[in-house]
Amino acid sequence: MFLTIQATFRRNYLVMRHSLPYTSIIGSLLSGFYMILFSYLIYKIMFNGKLDDSFIKYTGSSDYITFAVLGSTVYILSISVLLIVSRSLISELRQGTLETIFLSPASRQGYFLGCMLQGLMLVGIEFIGILVMGFFFGLDITNINPISASITLVLIIFSFYSQALVLGAIMVWFRDTYITQNTLITLMGLISGVSFPIEYLPDWLQYLSKIMPLTFGLVAFRETIMLGGELVSSFESISYLIMLTTCYFLIGKYLLIKVEKNILEKITE
Amino acid sequence: MIKVEQVYKTYINKHRNFLFFSETRQTEAVCGVDLYVNPGEIVGLLGMNGAGKTTLIKMMSTLLSPTSGTITIDGMDVVKDALKVKSIVNMIAGGERMLYFRLTGRQNLEYFGNLYGLRGSLLKDRINYLLSKVGLEKAADTPVERYSKGMKQRLQIARGLINDPKYLFLDEPTLGLDVSVAKRLREFVQELVHREGKGIVLTSHYLEEIEELCDRVYIANNGRIIMHDTPKNLVFNITHGNVLNIVVPEINDKLNNNLRTLIELHNANIEISSNEEGILISIKSKKDITTEVVQTIYNSNVNLISLYIEKPKLEDAILQLENGVA
Ligand SMILES: Nc1ncnc2c1ncn2[C@@H]1O[C@H](COP(=O)(O)OP(=O)(O)OP(=O)(O)O)[C@@H](O)[C@H]1O
Ligand SMILES: [Mg+2]
Repeated sequence: MFLTIQATFRRNYLVMRHSLPYTSIIGSLLSGFYMILFSYLIYKIMFNGKLDDSFIKYTGSSDYITFAVLGSTVYILSISVLLIVSRSLISELRQGTLETIFLSPASRQGYFLGCMLQGLMLVGIEFIGILVMGFFFGLDITNINPISASITLVLIIFSFYSQALVLGAIMVWFRDTYITQNTLITLMGLISGVSFPIEYLPDWLQYLSKIMPLTFGLVAFRETIMLGGELVSSFESISYLIMLTTCYFLIGKYLLIKVEKNILEKITE
Repeated sequence: MIKVEQVYKTYINKHRNFLFFSETRQTEAVCGVDLYVNPGEIVGLLGMNGAGKTTLIKMMSTLLSPTSGTITIDGMDVVKDALKVKSIVNMIAGGERMLYFRLTGRQNLEYFGNLYGLRGSLLKDRINYLLSKVGLEKAADTPVERYSKGMKQRLQIARGLINDPKYLFLDEPTLGLDVSVAKRLREFVQELVHREGKGIVLTSHYLEEIEELCDRVYIANNGRIIMHDTPKNLVFNITHGNVLNIVVPEINDKLNNNLRTLIELHNANIEISSNEEGILISIKSKKDITTEVVQTIYNSNVNLISLYIEKPKLEDAILQLENGVA
């Protein structure tokens, strides 16, 4: 499996060097910028820079800007990871190389992991870029607990990876790259607590938000950065995150096996 | 040994008529096929478009699972032991797919080699060997998107051999190759089989290719195998042997009578027509009766202007067979 990860990483790296996806980097940076700007304006203009007590009760903090910047950054990260992994198979299909991958005994997880790790090279740049922009709006990370924050971030990335396996299987099944992914991404942006705590949502939407790894990832990540929390202090959200990751991973793995058979039958020269 | 036993494959496709109304369509691409391939032998798979050749090859190479029936390769089931089978087989299809256009030829081979668990100097040597075998040393470090069609096809062939497979499936491998490249490929295929003992299944629409290369041929039609034999026997059985063409200036009564007797004796067919040289007598027979015919002509005091023997090709056999089936 390790060789497959390494080989796929290298292959995608070579392709990336061949034609750097400037537009997608700039696109991500811009979306991050707009999201932060939007939250900032709403906060400053509509709420006059004042929060009601419930925000503090739900988040343990009164720093809305940091809350929103972290939300936007992780949200953009989730989109990038989801797209990189879930689109990989469908782009092999379109290039006509899917059969060669399936013809080989290579590990499928190795393949997807290779795709993701290589993708993280660019996603990392986007992530840092958006955080840097955040500082201009008033992002405050003086309370950060760096070790917990890094571990949480890694867990978050793997949760998106698992979710991407499911998304990828669905996309391949329906031969669709737009409707499925855009529905999921919009939904995640609305209900996972990206720009406001999920407690503001109606009950039924709160339940829905519980199936999104992003929801728990954000709670844990903000805790480690805004409140300087140890991993144990966000024990509940971390364990939820790990549980969801495992579920998505198993479902994704199962669906991909099904999809692999189906997709190969549909290929005609 | 590859063993295909009573294999069926039905494709099920949903065909959308209008928004959400869809009907399912079933295509029985392969119906009850039995075949075998020994290591060290080239087996041809012939048949018209849509006969089910590609479907069979994809099942043997683990890409598709049979709807029913079993396929085993060296005793391993292509469905249950798919991973083990994958490492000893490979497939090459004609056309330009199955390659990364943005990578160079060498990078493509490196990637595919890695997928088979190969690495380091072993892989490097293998790649150099294959590149030189397919004549792509000079283009090895050029991106594939700048390759010509023939170069892509040759790289395909190198890709198909990257894991040094024991069994190789070639689905129209010479599609779109020029004459000399195709010839070199055929020589290479023969070398693989005769020197390295690989088992090869070959489909091709170029019948001379099949005739030249294959030890045995299966002829498929509508998903069924309708014939199985050596190319030589197939030709012979289907076309009823050679055609002897003789041109004479005239036919006298004596020659006419003598020829008829000879024809009846050997259960042959005769056709008489005229061409610019004279009168053309075409005799079709299972047995070679050239000597007897020439003797008869001399005995009848008729001059012989020219004589040539038409050997039937596999192509003639197939055409006849397909006319018969249709
Ligand atoms: N993915 C598919 N879905 C549905 N039907 C298919 C599919 N692939 C092939 N078929 C059908 O199955 C039959 C056999 O197709 P196949 O491609 O195996 O034929 P073939 O012998 O390789 O033909 P050719 O000489 O044109 O390559 C055809 O009727 C074809 O229409
Ligand atoms: Mg075919």
